[in-house]
Amino acid sequence: MLNKRHAKPSPPLSDVALQWLIAALGFTVLPHLGHLPVWAGILVFGVAAWRGWIIGNPRMKLPGRWLRISLTLLVVLAVLLSFKTLFGREAGVALLAAMMAMKLLEARTHRDGLVLLLLGYFLVMSNLLYSQSPLMAIYLFGVVIVLLAAQIMVRRQHVALPTRGALRLSLRLSLQALPVMLILFVLFPRIPGPLWGLPKDAHSGLTGLDDKMTPGAISQLIASPEVAFRVRFAGPVPPANQLYWRGPVLWRYDGTSWTRSLDLPRQRFPYTVQGKSIDYTVVLQPHGNRWLFALELPYSLPPDSGLTTAFEMLRRNPVNELMRYPVRSYPHYQTGDLEPVWRWRALQLPPGNPRARALALEWRATQAEPAGVVRTALAYIREQDFFYTLEPPAELVEHNIDHFLFDTRRGFCEHFASSFVFLMRAAGIPARVVTGYQGGEINTLGGYFIVRQSDAHAWAEVWLQGQGWIRVDPTAAVSPARIEGGIQAAIDPVSLPFMARRGVSWLHELALSWDTLNTLWNEWVLAYGPDLQREFLSGLGFGPIDGWGMTIGMIVALGLLIALFAAAHLLSRRAAADPAVRLYERFCARLARRGLMRQAHEGPLDFTARAALRYPQWAAQLRRIGQLYASLRYGRALPDAAALRQFRQSIGAFKG
Amino acid sequence: MFPAVLSMRRRIDQWTRRRHPPQRQTARLERQRIYILPTGFGYVFGLMLGIMFLWAINYNNSLSFALTFLLAAVALVAMRRTHDNLLHLCISPGKADAVFVGQEARFTFHLEHSDSQKRYGIALQSRQGDPCFTDVPVGSGGSLILTIQATQRGWLQAGRLRVLTRFPLDLFQAWSWVEFEQACLVYPRPQGSLPLPLAASRMQGAGGGETGVGSEDFAGLRPYRPGDAPRHVAWKAAARRGELLVKRFTDQARSELWLDWDLLASADIETRLSQLCLWVLKAEGEQLNYGLHLPGVVVPPARGEGHRRQCLETLALYGLPKDG
Amino acid sequence: MSALHPPISEPMHRDRLEAAVSQVGTVILGKQRAIRLALTCVLARGHLLIEDLPGMGKTILAHALASSLGLQYQRIQFTSDLLPADILGAAIYETQRAGFVFHPGPVFSQLILADEINRATPKTQSALLEAMEEHQVTTEGETRPLPQPFFVIATQNPSYQVGTFPLPESQLDRFLMRIELGYPDSEAERALLQGRDRRELVTQLARRLSSEDLMTAQSAVADVYVSSPLIDYLQSLLQFSRQSPLFRVGLSPRAGLALLGAARAWAFLSQRDHVLPEDIQAVLPAVVGHRLHPSEEFLNEPIPNLVARLITAVAVS
Repeated sequence: MLNKRHAKPSPPLSDVALQWLIAALGFTVLPHLGHLPVWAGILVFGVAAWRGWIIGNPRMKLPGRWLRISLTLLVVLAVLLSFKTLFGREAGVALLAAMMAMKLLEARTHRDGLVLLLLGYFLVMSNLLYSQSPLMAIYLFGVVIVLLAAQIMVRRQHVALPTRGALRLSLRLSLQALPVMLILFVLFPRIPGPLWGLPKDAHSGLTGLDDKMTPGAISQLIASPEVAFRVRFAGPVPPANQLYWRGPVLWRYDGTSWTRSLDLPRQRFPYTVQGKSIDYTVVLQPHGNRWLFALELPYSLPPDSGLTTAFEMLRRNPVNELMRYPVRSYPHYQTGDLEPVWRWRALQLPPGNPRARALALEWRATQAEPAGVVRTALAYIREQDFFYTLEPPAELVEHNIDHFLFDTRRGFCEHFASSFVFLMRAAGIPARVVTGYQGGEINTLGGYFIVRQSDAHAWAEVWLQGQGWIRVDPTAAVSPARIEGGIQAAIDPVSLPFMARRGVSWLHELALSWDTLNTLWNEWVLAYGPDLQREFLSGLGFGPIDGWGMTIGMIVALGLLIALFAAAHLLSRRAAADPAVRLYERFCARLARRGLMRQAHEGPLDFTARAALRYPQWAAQLRRIGQLYASLRYGRALPDAAALRQFRQSIGAFKG
Repeated sequence: MFPAVLSMRRRIDQWTRRRHPPQRQTARLERQRIYILPTGFGYVFGLMLGIMFLWAINYNNSLSFALTFLLAAVALVAMRRTHDNLLHLCISPGKADAVFVGQEARFTFHLEHSDSQKRYGIALQSRQGDPCFTDVPVGSGGSLILTIQATQRGWLQAGRLRVLTRFPLDLFQAWSWVEFEQACLVYPRPQGSLPLPLAASRMQGAGGGETGVGSEDFAGLRPYRPGDAPRHVAWKAAARRGELLVKRFTDQARSELWLDWDLLASADIETRLSQLCLWVLKAEGEQLNYGLHLPGVVVPPARGEGHRRQCLETLALYGLPKDG
Repeated sequence: MSALHPPISEPMHRDRLEAAVSQVGTVILGKQRAIRLALTCVLARGHLLIEDLPGMGKTILAHALASSLGLQYQRIQFTSDLLPADILGAAIYETQRAGFVFHPGPVFSQLILADEINRATPKTQSALLEAMEEHQVTTEGETRPLPQPFFVIATQNPSYQVGTFPLPESQLDRFLMRIELGYPDSEAERALLQGRDRRELVTQLARRLSSEDLMTAQSAVADVYVSSPLIDYLQSLLQFSRQSPLFRVGLSPRAGLALLGAARAWAFLSQRDHVLPEDIQAVLPAVVGHRLHPSEEFLNEPIPNLVARLITAVAVS
């Protein structure tokens, strides 16, 4: 595989090297066990165990060629059956792991060992598609060390290096490589990806808000302690009732679920802002969709993004990697007119729910203006015996708004928002559902704000003549604590995931410290892409810097690092660098270029005498240099400036 | 291969030879004479890094970048390590025992260094042969035996040797050239169909017509001939065989077997030398007193290991220029 | 030179030493290096062991040295029946004085040639060796100092000759150096054959130094400067001899001191007031040759080769 020119057979793989390979490959597949199909896990670890077992058992034979080929075909078929494809992330990883197992089955030569090593490095990398947490990074660093040790051992037919020696050596190589890696990581010019289409499932398994709100969707999200995004405020943290992180805006209602409308992002702001601004930076976890979250309402746009008519921030590409962006928002704003087409959309209602419609019409008839209808509706929710709960009773398929408003009266923010918007539309007031997050938790340790999936929320917006779109949160009417104190205040903490409970114990403190670490990690390592790189480097005082600048910077930094190492090496070699020695070394180097090399064991007199024989024309000069150096280096008198100058002059005068 | 490439290669050869002339004593590998390039696997590893880098860009995966850079950095560090594995290594020639054409000449080399750590996986490679690996323990003292097929009699030199290492990661190969004046003597191939020229050669025995008759060493039995002394009759053997047998004695000290060039008819010098070589070995095996007679060279008859070596050496170097 | 080399206390001694070297050289032809080593040995207050076949000029060398340096000279031929008292001396009853009077043996001389020391029994050998080590002789409870300077040249036949008692290893390093004279080269041999009888020449040699001069020179040798890089170099040599598989056992600290002393004397003889690596390399084969033994692996290699490899393997600092 490596080199076709090699006609001779590759030497056999030693048993120890094979053991190391098996161990290293086992470690690379271990984190995949959670998402590999069961058969693949059994295959990989079964083959590894069997291959490891027969090492000590010389009577056992490796399977023959035909068995191997049929097994390989079988494996490909199994991947095809499990995933319906051979491509994509899941199928790719399964295929890689299975191929590794197949190669292990036939591994017997040195060359097989090298192939296994390469597969191992790719498997290490495949783990990063699933998790990039600090723990995973440490784990994989350890795996790389084991793989490198295996790489040292694979060469072992020539070297009697003890196993621990190999491990120590690979550890040392890796640690020495870290500074170089750091320089490359920071300064290697990053190209924004992707270069080609990614497999569809490349980023599956991400949680977050959807562009569709079906009953129970948000309460499901609330069960997740995962972090949605983190925020660093430039100024003080705004009051809780302003912390509405706007996400997808839902217009269409089909009787059960709400969905987004097609709405193209544009580069302008269809509203005016006033009052004080709030400046902050968001570090958004990948969620697989295009929208970005910001406080209502944003007045600056991150790169590659735009604002839709419904004031959603949309990015050109889905957020599949950690993203960091600065935003400026204004809590006070004034939106303009409503275009007829959007007005029509904001009033669309499916048939059904007669009781709710009747109630809305009644309000409309009694109130002079739409604002009154809104107030009445909120008062209705507040005054009737509505309950805020995470476990609403089962829903009906038909007339579920009626069912909620008049029968159960127990529900969650999505029920309140959905019913409120229904009532408004029924009363002829343009309204829409806004989803996003509300509140968040301050991490005093890291000085930032964590917003989790459990902070997911849905509220309503109504359009009133002269005021434009205004936010109405019916949940606040039924449970003000939800808005002021967050989800924890509104719900019995036991029903929440652990991480979403707040202020409970020191364990929570610990968890917050961990989250601080994670945040730093996310902000500075995972989000380190082309944008952050540019930002970071110009922040260091380099001014605007481009790819070439970075390349030059990288080369300079690497050069500096090498110089640093060389200097440390030299310093340790001769702690007090004698200037006479340096001069003499320069002199020797000059002669070496002429082809006369000083032997390491040759003293100054011997060497210059030999040189004088070789170059009789300079004999006297050469001898004198030798004598001067000998007495400077080994003589009694401390080398004073005059003697040193004399030596320097005679070396300078030597034109050899 | 193209002539241009050949001449290029010759020029490189000459250049390295000029830079590193043959040495009698220890060669110490200094920075100036160590070269380093990636191995085949090193190139494949580089290709892998390239793929990983594209992968990292495509998935915009920060830690994948980190992993790629880590492996690249490890490769760089390993390159230095490979280079240092050869640095200041001392190689000195050891003995090389004489062999016959067709055998393998075994050149011994001693490898030493003054580090505090063992050096692993260092090899010597002759121009045609495979690299021959060893470890050099702390202080000094690895020995390596390089075998080279002896195809021609005379002095055989190991020629220009490549000292190489790929330790630790097999990604880079560092090498240097050394050449020593050390030589191994190659005797002609002992070959030929003729028996020892016992009768034909100029034997100078004490007993007149009888070949090599003496009184000291028992040399076998022969049928009785009239005139034989009765005390030489082997009575026990005669009783068993039913005919008179006489004990034959030779006086080795005085009988001389001349292995003479002129006894051989072949036109080819090498064939003649081969035959003579075989005779020397046979004569020594039979404990004969033998001498060697070549045009212009005479080795007087004698016996023993030293004599055998002298004869073989004479044969090996016969007709070759002195400085060979 | 003068700017860098402060004048040494007795520069004239060195000229006289040089003169002594060249004078001995007129008798022992083509052995300049051996003569210098022998003189180095004297200057370093060490003793010399010459290992060679008979007839190589050992006796002449000792005699010539004694004459040139103005030393009182005694030759002791060692035989298997030689007794310690024959060397050290004995108390003999004298009737005139009516008591035992100590009659000093030949050891009470400034330069002793102990010829074929390995022919005597170990007991006799050790009597001399102890005297050499302690510079005094103790007999019948009385300690008598040996004359100053005191220098022993012992000769030894190659140990494979029959009827010898090879010196034990522990005794060997009482000698600072061991040298071989070897055959003269053809030119020197020709001159030797054509010239006059050496024994006759030796008696005519002029005295170049007094024994007081020699002792001043000996104390001046101790003042020859040793720089720290040189100590580094010496240490790496010792270290290498201990770590390398060439030798069964490495050099002892005593060997290190001997090496340094000899190098000082060599530097002194070379008109220098400081020691160079070259000085150490010059005396190294003679000083360590009899203190090192090849390891199993290198049994076939002669010691001089191994010592040469020791030198080439260690870089000067």
